[in-house]
Amino acid sequence: MSPRPEAPARTRRHLLTAAAVLFVLGLTVWSANGIGVSLVELFSNLGRMGRLIDDSFPPAWSFWPRLIKPLLETLQIAIIGTIFGSILALPLAILAARTVSPSRPLYWLNRNIMNVLRTMPDLFWAMLFASAVGFGPFAGALALTVFTVAVVSKLTSESIESIDMKLTEAVRASGGNWLETVFFSVLPQALPQYVSYVLYALELNVRASTVLGLVGAGGIGMVLNTQRTTFQYDRVTMIVLFVFLVVMLIEQLSAAARRRLV
Amino acid sequence: MAGSPAIRFRQASVVYPSGVRGLDRLDLDIPHGDLVVIVGLSGAGKSTMLRAVNGLVTITGGDVEVEGRSVRSSRGKALRELRAGAGMIFQDYRIVRRLSVLQNVLVGRVARVPTWRQLIGMWPKEDVELAFDSLDRVGLVDRAYVKAGQLSGGQQQRVGIARALAQKPSVILADEPVASLDPVTSRRVMEDLRRINQDLGITTLVNLHFLDLAKEYAERIIGLSQGRLVFDGAGGDVTEGDFAEIYGRHMTADDVLEAQVAL
Ligand SMILES: Nc1ncnc2c1ncn2[C@@H]1O[C@H](COP(=O)(O)OP(=O)(O)O)[C@@H](O)[C@H]1O
Ligand SMILES: [Mg+2]
Repeated sequence: MSPRPEAPARTRRHLLTAAAVLFVLGLTVWSANGIGVSLVELFSNLGRMGRLIDDSFPPAWSFWPRLIKPLLETLQIAIIGTIFGSILALPLAILAARTVSPSRPLYWLNRNIMNVLRTMPDLFWAMLFASAVGFGPFAGALALTVFTVAVVSKLTSESIESIDMKLTEAVRASGGNWLETVFFSVLPQALPQYVSYVLYALELNVRASTVLGLVGAGGIGMVLNTQRTTFQYDRVTMIVLFVFLVVMLIEQLSAAARRRLV
Repeated sequence: MAGSPAIRFRQASVVYPSGVRGLDRLDLDIPHGDLVVIVGLSGAGKSTMLRAVNGLVTITGGDVEVEGRSVRSSRGKALRELRAGAGMIFQDYRIVRRLSVLQNVLVGRVARVPTWRQLIGMWPKEDVELAFDSLDRVGLVDRAYVKAGQLSGGQQQRVGIARALAQKPSVILADEPVASLDPVTSRRVMEDLRRINQDLGITTLVNLHFLDLAKEYAERIIGLSQGRLVFDGAGGDVTEGDFAEIYGRHMTADDVLEAQVAL
């Protein structure tokens, strides 16, 4: 048997692993202390939790007719945000695609603004627009518009960067200008992807608009908050079930449509 | 412009940013209505030569004139006008598979129709008529409303030819138009190009790899090697010895379309 090579030294890797474990442990202790995590409190309050669950079941089935209107409002907020946002996102996506953008500075500026938009959570935008147009569904729709612009333009510009640029050259060879090139070669190639991102944004927005309701943007989230603060937990359960069903239904429909597109 | 040729290369050079010399001081006159075939090894500069005619590559020395107009000094609108007058046909067709055949052919009218009309799909009647005429010339009228991606390779290439025709060009530039096609389809496409050249008198430049096709269809053959003109003669006169000179080696089965049929 030929001589085996010596096994590589393991000490370094072991040290690194130990350091990583210690670091995560330290991080956990630090955070737990900071927010007052207490197992004692958790267990001594299990009784209260039991009562809460008791109050929540059975769900207040008869409450559902009063949920239709607010739920529709939640959907309307999501739809407006998705449509306005997607319309704005398309030209921005074209300008933000390196291979197609007509001007370097415009491309750069657009990219950076989009990055800033994306780092802000939708709740932040809801608060911002609430102070501008007042709390309510409209502020919610505006917040989701910004959120949609950020998501859809980013994804679409990446799709545009991956299209076949040789087709673009064929339009230019026929004497086409920039806009004609975009219209006859960029858009036909990128449109199915774009539509699929719009549907994806709609899924995200239906969920987000429910949460925005909790902070006063109207819709089903607002009803949920009212019932919770008045301790009507059986109604809360009913709302959660209802929202769960509708969100799932929309996601399934949208996912099926997207599968057909691409 | 009775006096000037359709295309004139005057010491035309193209040096790519990488430093590669694609075209080296080419001097050449192409008279109106000629069908000229350009042959040469891969990398000899055939594509560069055609793309210098419509300004898709930057001419770095000398100039090319199309109908007396300088390509090198054309910018913006003038350059788009110049390109509109030269229909280009590509080896890989370059048609948009998701658009209909008719829409692809209408792309040949982009320089002649206001952009806003194109964007809302309100093409003038004359332009739609012209697109149908062009499709008729390549025998594809019945496929006008089919998605281009559903056609066979040979049909897609003929859509590419119809798009070039729809430009009502004075020049057609075909860059290896049959390199992706089988022998039978190749001949069909070459026949189309020759018929168009003869019926409409459009000056036609075709890059070809296969030497027997070149001999069969060319009125004149141009040989390129390393960006330089190394052969210029009538299609019928060219001999195997000439090809050996252009290619720097003897002909092989790969250089002949007939041999491909046996494969
Ligand atoms: N865009 C480009 N950038 C740099 N070099 C290029 C480019 N296009 C072609 N070349 C080079 O120029 C030479 C001629 O190429 P080309 O005109 O495509 O030849 P052919 O069409 O005869 O095969 C080759 O050496 C090729 O590598
Ligand atoms: Mg080539």
